[in-house]
Amino acid sequence: MSADRITQDVERGEPITIVIDGQQVACFAGETIATAMLAAGLDAFRTDQRGKPRGLLCNMGSCYECLVTDIATGRRIRACLAPAADGMEVSTRG
Amino acid sequence: MERADVAIIGGGLVGCATAWRLARKGASVVLIEAGDINAGASGQNAGSLHFQIERRFLENGDALAEQGAQIVALSRHAVIDWRTIERELETDLHVAMHGGLMVAETAEQVALLEAKAARESREGLTVRTLDGDEARAMAPYLSSGILAANFSADEGHADPRAITPALAEAARGEGAQVRTGTHVRAITRENGRFVIRGNGLALSADQLLVAAGAWSADVCALINIHMPIYPVALLMNATERAPPIIPHLVQHVGRRLSLKQTHAGNLLIGGGWPSRLAQTLHGGFDLSAKAQMIPESLTGNLLAARDVVPGVTRLNLIRSWTGVTAITSDQLPIVGPVPRMPGLWVAAGGSAFTLGLTFARLMADAMTGDEADELSLLSPARFEHLNGFMG
Amino acid sequence: MADRIECDVAIIGGGPAGQAAALALSGHGLSIVVIDEQPRPGGQILRQPPARFAVRGWLEERSYRPLKQLLGRFQALDDIHWLGSHSVIGLQRGSVMAMGPEGVTTVTARHILIAAGCHDLAVPLPGWTLPGVYAAGGIQAFIKGQQLLVGNRILVAGTHPLQLIIAAQIVAAGGSVAAVLFAQPRSAMVAALARHPLAALRRVPDLLATAAALRALARAGTPIHFGTSLEALIGTDRVSAAQTSAGTINCDAVGLCYGFVPQSALPRMAGAQMRPSGPAGGWACGHDDFMRTSVPGVSAAGETTGVAGAAAAAAGGALAGIGIALDLGLISLEAAEHAARTPRRDLAQHRAFAALLDAVADPRAYFPAPSADTIICRCEDVEQATIAAELPVCQSANAVKLATRCGMGACQGRNCEPSLLRMMAKAGNVPETGFTPRFPARPVSIADLLPPQ
Repeated sequence: MSADRITQDVERGEPITIVIDGQQVACFAGETIATAMLAAGLDAFRTDQRGKPRGLLCNMGSCYECLVTDIATGRRIRACLAPAADGMEVSTRG
Repeated sequence: MERADVAIIGGGLVGCATAWRLARKGASVVLIEAGDINAGASGQNAGSLHFQIERRFLENGDALAEQGAQIVALSRHAVIDWRTIERELETDLHVAMHGGLMVAETAEQVALLEAKAARESREGLTVRTLDGDEARAMAPYLSSGILAANFSADEGHADPRAITPALAEAARGEGAQVRTGTHVRAITRENGRFVIRGNGLALSADQLLVAAGAWSADVCALINIHMPIYPVALLMNATERAPPIIPHLVQHVGRRLSLKQTHAGNLLIGGGWPSRLAQTLHGGFDLSAKAQMIPESLTGNLLAARDVVPGVTRLNLIRSWTGVTAITSDQLPIVGPVPRMPGLWVAAGGSAFTLGLTFARLMADAMTGDEADELSLLSPARFEHLNGFMG
Repeated sequence: MADRIECDVAIIGGGPAGQAAALALSGHGLSIVVIDEQPRPGGQILRQPPARFAVRGWLEERSYRPLKQLLGRFQALDDIHWLGSHSVIGLQRGSVMAMGPEGVTTVTARHILIAAGCHDLAVPLPGWTLPGVYAAGGIQAFIKGQQLLVGNRILVAGTHPLQLIIAAQIVAAGGSVAAVLFAQPRSAMVAALARHPLAALRRVPDLLATAAALRALARAGTPIHFGTSLEALIGTDRVSAAQTSAGTINCDAVGLCYGFVPQSALPRMAGAQMRPSGPAGGWACGHDDFMRTSVPGVSAAGETTGVAGAAAAAAGGALAGIGIALDLGLISLEAAEHAARTPRRDLAQHRAFAALLDAVADPRAYFPAPSADTIICRCEDVEQATIAAELPVCQSANAVKLATRCGMGACQGRNCEPSLLRMMAKAGNVPETGFTPRFPARPVSIADLLPPQ
């Protein structure tokens, strides 16, 4: 499955590319990392202790299921809040 | 009225371990806890097993350092107690004794380390003194600013969440009664026995052990005894989980720092930074209210951690909390019988995670008539002058 | 920790409550800082698309109109310091620590307003940790704020009527809703409505919005089932179906909609008196008739004081602003009482309607049953059976936390606390408090807490 961008009546920012676990992901300026990932069919934001993939739950910064690592800064950021920036590299592997 | 050989007030590590040891020797034991088992300092501390002389003993001059050094004799027992407890309880308590480093960043601190090592060797504790490079070879996570370290092979950490509940369970298994949610309201002496009353409780016991941590002075007051035990609120911090990087216990000889990585991967950062205790309307301390974090303590603690283990800055802090422990008027724990009141025992005043199993084993021996000379250093007898008008 | 801002009033939350408070306080020459996790104001109810987007006809439904007007007036204020993309991590009397993309800012303020909103109740059931399972509010926020549909066949299930609105928004955005499931029978909802006829009448527009949603869903052929509960969510690496009391429903995303709980971390951290919130659980911040909490210098408004909707939040925010103006000596008590009359009346009316909605949406008899290996605490992977084993020996939520790690993770117990308290209540133990609130309210990088090296 993949999430779908709503296109009717919507103009997005310019096309940009981010890198998720080494994979190039095309998205638009203004989108969050979570939106970019979901629209690309990447819905696992981390792996739990059982080795199972976890999706994000709340999309409002509270559940902490979408913590990913910003490679450049080493920061752990919430994908549902953090805006995608062109060339940004993100890891879902801790 | 119920009867028991021994009543224990306080469901922390020392209370539960003593209940277990006594019950195993065949004594009838009732343990009384106002809240939940392990809710106080036993569960709230950061789980260090530290055997080197603590920084707090070193920073107040030679006399206190000399006194502090004597407790090292008990550490030798504690090493054995911790190395055997998982087998005895047949439970995984996440005991990790892979050694501990006490580090120095300045020339003065290096001198302090050397003096400390000499003192420890006189007391029979072996530590190795490493220079900065040797320390980093052993512990690559250490900062280039570390000039030297003492290494004690037995130090480490255990899981404070696991040990005390396991001891309570073992005590129950040996026939001890464990009463949680039971507030002691009154203690009286009747015909040479202790009569303890509280909600749903009327108990007569031959002997009484007060092991109630920071609440111990208040419990002793119920039976008209002074005990110079003072509450202290200490800050601790946990990071998110990280891959295994730090197998050791890390302490600092000149700054307040203890740092370790738990079995789950979280780094625990503490070392004696204060929080502010809440106060009652009458000006005393209110141990039932939450202590307030002091921002300077948080910064100070995290700075010390950064200077020793620079990698911590990449991690998220997920929780800071305050545990309420206790210190005594001379810094040494108070453990043993109270001369003024035969049958009354006290065990409180700090160091009770590392040494708690040992306190419990030695007290259980002494309470059932065996020798336990090792405890004499910590005897409440040294404060007998406070009880000249009490009892 | 380099940045410091000194101000007169710090408002936490840029939703309707924070906006209304800022408007009430504006024009008095005060320095006002408004802090919000989102880059733009609006709150969850008006989760704005990023400034880089242009969306024609955004949230044009009639019910959003007054809120959009309020937002417009707030955005037109020129004496507000907007601190967007900042999460509050610490709060004490007179001081707020906020974490942003560049580090931590300490905001000192003479008065603090907590208007932090609410969040979806997290509801554990078998399979709920699979990717593709969302809080329904999260799905809605993707539509409002990012113009994204999270699936091609979305199942919405729970007990809260808001799920009708969300389902209608999915359909309006061109998406497909597999079904809307109400766990409670229709008769239970009608009976609850009938018990509050006056409140229902006063809020006809809100009920009409629901009616409009029902019509839209009917046109789209979306099945709506009452008395149909979720039993388990099924899938390997992502959700592919739901097992319900009426059979299996195929879907590629699920929105859980069992109600909302106040964001309570900040008032609890400040030491404010709290009370149990509505039937969904959680803790609401207590307040007086000017929205002051029990902590001097700290007020609260909006869903933090009890989940009652955006209109109640706006009324409470206005009232809080008046109270703060009074406390700062800007207006007389007489003037404050006079100005407070309208927002107090509005607040009371909106809360009466919220009580009705609570009764209609009451999830308590309809929660799905977790199985023994269902994860209750998502951060620490604590299973139902692990917690259940501790219930006989633990009297407090803190004791369960210590024994099991439930609530020890990054979300600070937001997800699991209501579930744990329900489990404890079911075992005959209704604790007076939940977990002890700890600093930081949100995880924060250690580097951000320290001066630069």
